[in-house]
This record gives sequence, structure tokens and C-alpha cells, in this order.
Amino acid sequence: MPISRFLLSCSRRHSTEALNLLRSGICRFYPIGRPKEMQSVPSKRIQFHNYCKSSKKPNGRLGNDPVMAIETQTTPRSWGTYAIPAGAILGFVGLATFIHYNDERRVTLKGQGTSSSGNIVMGPIIGGPFTLVDTENWVVTEKNLLGNWVLLCFGYTSSPDVGPEQLQIMAKALEKLDSKYNARVLPVFVTIDPQRDTPAQLRAYLKEFDPRILGLTGAVSAVRQMAQEYRVYFKKVEEEGDDYLVESSHMMYLMNPNMELARCFGVEYNADELSEAILKELKRNPIQ
Amino acid sequence: MAQPQEAYATRNPNNIRTDVLAEARQACYKARDAFYACVEKETDKKPTEIASVGLLYPSDCKASRAEFEKLCRASWVNHFDRQYCKNRRVQRLLDDKESRRGV
Repeated sequence: MPISRFLLSCSRRHSTEALNLLRSGICRFYPIGRPKEMQSVPSKRIQFHNYCKSSKKPNGRLGNDPVMAIETQTTPRSWGTYAIPAGAILGFVGLATFIHYNDERRVTLKGQGTSSSGNIVMGPIIGGPFTLVDTENWVVTEKNLLGNWVLLCFGYTSSPDVGPEQLQIMAKALEKLDSKYNARVLPVFVTIDPQRDTPAQLRAYLKEFDPRILGLTGAVSAVRQMAQEYRVYFKKVEEEGDDYLVESSHMMYLMNPNMELARCFGVEYNADELSEAILKELKRNPIQ
Repeated sequence: MAQPQEAYATRNPNNIRTDVLAEARQACYKARDAFYACVEKETDKKPTEIASVGLLYPSDCKASRAEFEKLCRASWVNHFDRQYCKNRRVQRLLDDKESRRGV
């Protein structure tokens, strides 16, 4: 019975009461002159009591209950040890939610995409206004070219090999388009060497390829601005006194009648391939 | 089309350089081909003369070299020489594959 009472008191966490009970219990039920067979039992009690006593905490609280003592010891720390990992997890979850939300917001569903704009060219907007002079000394701006399909190429008359080859291919392809498919595309040649290529020079040069090619030149700043709009790289190299070569990106630009870029062609196209590709573009966008 | 604009070039605008027109170009190309053919033919001879941009050629081809330099512009001569050297280097690389095995 004293054991049960002790246990009860322990479960109720009345530490001082339990201890007093224990003490009183030991004194009452085990007087000094006790029989021998009971000697072992009080030693257990006393040892148990001592064990309980030893768990007294320095601040005066009696922690005779081992289970509860451990808990009370760690109570002030529990807030700290649980808050930091919880905070980290919350932060991580918050970041993940934000990223997911951002992705959801930016998503374009499959099958839709850029159906709003008919232009298939992704990337920088190539093209823009320009003001140049043609071979007859007339001012030509991009407004003059509206309403025609335009094949635009940049070059200069003093090119050793690439320039004439490119013009040759262009002329042949356009002639094929004109004769076989009756598709009119206006060829335009803009010089990136305006200091040496005067309108008269251009006229003499282009006459040998095709009389329909429109040659454009102008002030250096105007040409540079147009080259920038069309993302054309050109640079003077190999300066030998008065003579120099101009390195440039050899591309041909096909513009639709609204002067928007439809396609660009590199040097790998020969005349037949070029005419085929241009025809495909013309058929795809029947804006006449 | 707008009004005709005055010529903007400071130099004489009617001065046309004919050496870039078709005839001169064709002559230049022919001289160039002749010179390079000569160099190809004489590959076993020791190159003694110095052309531009590091191209060496044997003295037998001196005549065609002079012709080439006369008919073509200086910058074009440099350009063609450089291109020729590049092609030769690539060719040498491709041919050399047989001599080195397992590399």
C-alpha cells in the first residue's frame, strides 16, 4: 500500500507532498525495532528514496519523479530547438510555393503559344525605318518599299569574291521566280561601304547582274543605323593605304509587303534552293 | 519617290572605279588562278620568294605573280593569299592522316 500511494503521488506530480509522504511512510511503517525479514525492504525504499532525493535540482525544485524531472529540465529549450527547423522548413516551403506560382503564371498551354502574332521569327525585331539614296539619287525610305516582297542584301562593290557571288545567286533566283512562277520580288542591295560606293558606282556595278536590283547608299550614319536595325555586322579590315576590305555578315533578308522580316538566308543557299524557299514563304503568307 | 537629292559624296561622284566591274574582275580571277596553278605545279621546288601574308612561292612563278599583282587590287591579293594558305593548311591536315596511325 505504501508503494501504491507513492506511485499515486508521483503520477499527480505533487513532488513535496510525495516526498513527505514517503518520509512519513517510512517512519510510520518501519519503526526502528523491526523484524529481520523486513530489513531488506526498507533498504530498497530508502535507496529508492535516496535515488529520488538525488534528483533534486539546484534551484530548489524537488524532482523526485524521474520521468517528469527530465521533461522539466528540457522545457525551456524546447521552444528554441523546435522553432529553428520549423522556420527553415516554412521558409523552404514558401520559396517552393512562390517558384511554382511564378511558373504557373508564365506558362503557355500546349497548342496555343504565339497564335496571336503571325510572325514566326523569334528574337529581336529585325527591320526598321531608314533613309537612303538610290542609284538615281532619289531618296528612298522604307515606306517606298511597302507593298512589295523585298529581298534585301548588304554588301559592297569592292568585295573580292563573296559579294559578286551573292548577287549572282540572288539575281538568278529572282529571275527564276519571275519567269517560272510569276512571283515578283524586289531585290535591294544596300552598300556597307558608302564612302567608296557612290550612286554612280552602284549603278555601274549592279547593271551587270540585273537591272531590277535597287541599289541603296547614303551617308555613313544612315547606313550604320540601317545596319544596326537589321543586325548586320560590318567592319573595315585589311587597310592598305587607301584600300580596304569590309568584313560583313552575309545574309539575305526576305521582307513581306509590310516590311516585316519573313526569313533570312545565309550563304549556303544556291539559286535553286533560294527560289524554292522564297516561293514557300510567298505561298505561306498570301498578302498581296 | 521624293525629289532628287544632291550628291552627298565629297569626292567626284562620277568617278567610277572600273576595277571592280565584271571585266576587270574576270581578268583578276584568271591571273589569280594562273598563279596558284603555277604554285601547285611547282610544289616540289623550294619556295624562295616571299609573297604577302606568309605565302612563299618558288621563283619560277615570279612572272605569274607579277601579273596577278598587277591585275588585282592589293587588298584582294592579300585576301586571296590568305584564303589559299588556309586551304593548303586544311589540305595538309587531311592528307597527313595516313602518315600518323593511331593518334
